[in-house]
Amino acid sequence: MPATLEQSFMKALFHGVIAEDMIFPFPETPKEERENVGVMLDTVRRFFNTNVDSKKIDQEHRIDESVLTGLKELGLFGLQIPQEHGGVGLSTHSYLRVMQEVAGRDTSVAVTLGAHQSIGLKALLLFGTADQKKRYLPALATGEKVAAFALTEPGAGSDAAGIKTHAELSPDGQSFILNGSKIWITNGGFADIFTVFARTSPAEEGKKPKITAFFVERGKGVTSGPSEHKLGIRGTSTTEIFFEDVVVPRENVIGEVGKGFKVAMEVLNNGRLGLAAGCVGLSQTLVKMAIERVQERRAFGRSIGDYGMIKDKIAGMLASLYALESMTYLTASMVDTKADYSIESAICKVMGSETLWSIVNETLQIAAGIGYMQDYPYERMLRDARINLIFEGTNEILRAFIALSGMAGPGKALVEVARAMREPIKGFGLLSDFAVRKARSMLGRERATRAHPLLSREAVIFEEYAGELASQTEALLRKHGRDIAEMQFAQRRIADEAIDLFGIAACLARTSRAIEKRGEEGARREIDLTTVFTAMAHKRLRQNASDYQKNDDELRKAVAVRAYQDGAYPFDLL
Amino acid sequence: MKILVPLKRVADPDNANKVKIPASGATIETTGLEWKPNPFDEYALEAALRLTEDGKAPKVRAGEVVVVTFGPKETETTLRAALATGADRAIRVDAADDKLDGHLVARALKALVEREKPDLVLMGKQAVDGDSNQVGQILAEQLDYPMATFAATMKEEAGGLLVGREVDGGVITLRVKFPAVVTVDLRIVAPTSVYSMKTAPAFKYNDGVRFAALPAIMAAKKKPLAEVKLADLAADQGLRVTYHGFQAPPARKAGIKVKDVTDLVNRLKNEAKAL
Ligand SMILES: Cc1cc2nc3c(=O)[nH]c(=O)nc-3n(C[C@H](O)[C@H](O)[C@H](O)COP(=O)(O)OP(=O)(O)OC[C@H]3O[C@@H](n4cnc5c(N)ncnc54)[C@H](O)[C@@H]3O)c2cc1C
Repeated sequence: MPATLEQSFMKALFHGVIAEDMIFPFPETPKEERENVGVMLDTVRRFFNTNVDSKKIDQEHRIDESVLTGLKELGLFGLQIPQEHGGVGLSTHSYLRVMQEVAGRDTSVAVTLGAHQSIGLKALLLFGTADQKKRYLPALATGEKVAAFALTEPGAGSDAAGIKTHAELSPDGQSFILNGSKIWITNGGFADIFTVFARTSPAEEGKKPKITAFFVERGKGVTSGPSEHKLGIRGTSTTEIFFEDVVVPRENVIGEVGKGFKVAMEVLNNGRLGLAAGCVGLSQTLVKMAIERVQERRAFGRSIGDYGMIKDKIAGMLASLYALESMTYLTASMVDTKADYSIESAICKVMGSETLWSIVNETLQIAAGIGYMQDYPYERMLRDARINLIFEGTNEILRAFIALSGMAGPGKALVEVARAMREPIKGFGLLSDFAVRKARSMLGRERATRAHPLLSREAVIFEEYAGELASQTEALLRKHGRDIAEMQFAQRRIADEAIDLFGIAACLARTSRAIEKRGEEGARREIDLTTVFTAMAHKRLRQNASDYQKNDDELRKAVAVRAYQDGAYPFDLL
Repeated sequence: MKILVPLKRVADPDNANKVKIPASGATIETTGLEWKPNPFDEYALEAALRLTEDGKAPKVRAGEVVVVTFGPKETETTLRAALATGADRAIRVDAADDKLDGHLVARALKALVEREKPDLVLMGKQAVDGDSNQVGQILAEQLDYPMATFAATMKEEAGGLLVGREVDGGVITLRVKFPAVVTVDLRIVAPTSVYSMKTAPAFKYNDGVRFAALPAIMAAKKKPLAEVKLADLAADQGLRVTYHGFQAPPARKAGIKVKDVTDLVNRLKNEAKAL
């Protein structure tokens, strides 16, 4: 089997292998950590209750200096920075739990904190040398210095390889001279240290540029533009950043020269999980608001919560939130055990932002008229929630990533099989591994044996569609080879199947643990939510699976292309 | 200055509806309740911290703040939180919640005070669960210490405190010599309520209690937390207060709408008998 099989649950799943050991038993927080984090959450709640006014932040388009100072004093700027460098030293799990709490209270604050430590200084934690850490981390941990992550440019958003900011080695070889500009940089107005990505090879048509990551301190040649006016998260500072002949010492290269792309990807893998935890937090707040509202508001002589259409919404919200929370914290444990979690965190980001979007939309719908009014928080929360589908990789880009990255393993295996056929002796090892897997999936599908028997129906659905994902992957690869990179209709289906499968898997693992600990009745809520989520996912899985064979993809493409020519909606019923 | 601050955990008053009483009415069901430190005790801790620091450098402690609680192992969470907030040392007196009353707690505290020899025992005026308002007073009596209750302000002076108490029509200031027992009211956490001799008179605190910073929460694990058996402090564990039964307050009836002012007056007169 390819090496990746043992390292990533989802990558293995694309091969048809259910790597149960990676998700069972569902991770549990050690008691001491639970206690500590409990006290921390108490601090966070009290601080927000007494100091943070989200309405004011939204209206004034800024977070009060005193609030930022308070957050810094509480240590919230150094959550994952090791204690030896003055931070709190939280595990990924605890970090996410604290960020969840923060995001549940105020999105602008959460995004400001996230831009600082989920992505802004993350490269330093992941790739920094001992010396770089010693130099920068203490001031970043206390918030004396604030960090930002600067990748996006006017001409390069999703397509990060297209950046134009460039860094030339100085004649004496001691430093780089940085020129260019970045756009929409969170914390841009006040950050002191930027993780900047710049090309360190000349721009050549059709050639992939070499990109390098740098720490750049605000100083000579670094300026920021005015704050952008935004739909939501208005308390965050979003600005352009300009670099003009900025001298960056060689010691400020992060990782290796020319390996900046890897730095960016690793940082974002990590950041996406923080974003997902934020979505969990805000979703929880919204669900609570929705539950309160439907029991309070009366129509036609009954509380609106009595009506089926409302109950349907509430049940759907709870089930998808349960899945999202399970997936996010399951992935957190993969980070802490150093597994490959790149697909999983992309899945959590897509699932998180879309679950939140649907929950905020339904909550506003339930609140109806007051939901639309600025005197109430619903409309602000809807505006605040929207960003999550866009930044840290748009959900479209991430779907393509989930599909292509998942299919890469089986793709390689297929190529190797083909080569092995030509060179039977050299390729024998590879072939036999592949054959083993193949034989196994021919004998019958992989089983999810560790799911609790009470969840056997859900486990069977998972097994069936895990098999379907693998065979569809193989069929697409056999039929289209490399061309799959261009087939976005299929990628979208593959990605959505992967998202739903990971969701079911996470629910199975978590609920099995709950049943083992508290018995069937004690775990009633978890069991029911698993059943409801799996049923929702099952419908989508069935649809996606059948759409591979029978679809109107080509017609839809044609309609779009014709519309581009027409330039607008072509009818008028006048 | 060495200060002993007794802390009690209470069922979260914001979740009072979770309090359940079984049909027998013999006890209050405590499983599933969320616990919080008694707010007045948190005020006492805040005041103790203010008395043992220079307001502008609150990380350095001048003196010692020792916190103590009575209860099962889980109550250590309350102590850990206090340690994270700034207390130096904690003691848990192992006891079952329902085997305690104010008199027993005061007797045990007396033994503890004799061991620890603090200059000051600073405590909340009452716990918000039983609202008994008696432990401080009984303790002072048993120790034969000077006492000030319901302190709204405190100013450190050589060998004692000036304690301000709000009373009808004004403020009484008491001069209390150490060792002493002081119980505090909620005003004690106002920005200018407490001054140590180190804190500049012009200094103003943030309103309310301080929150435990996250790095301090991690560091609090390294602070000492000792366990003492109740029997070591009180040979006689008899209770003076016995509870004969518990009853939930009757559910409130829905209000009514009155037709007009005449109707209102009628009902006030005849039904409510308020006029
Ligand atoms: C409030 C805010 C804060 C931000 N903070 C930061 C920050 O701190 N640091 C930073 O570096 N960046 C930041 N960004 C930038 C953000 O990451 C980008 O906006 C995002 O990556 C998308 O890039 P774009 O806006 O240029 O969209 P584009 O790349 O132009 O994409 C436009 C649309 O086309 C789709 N699309 C693009 N390529 C493909 C494809 N191959 N297949 C299918 N669909 C495709 C996209 O999904 C999207 O729907 C921020 C943005 C906002 C709005």
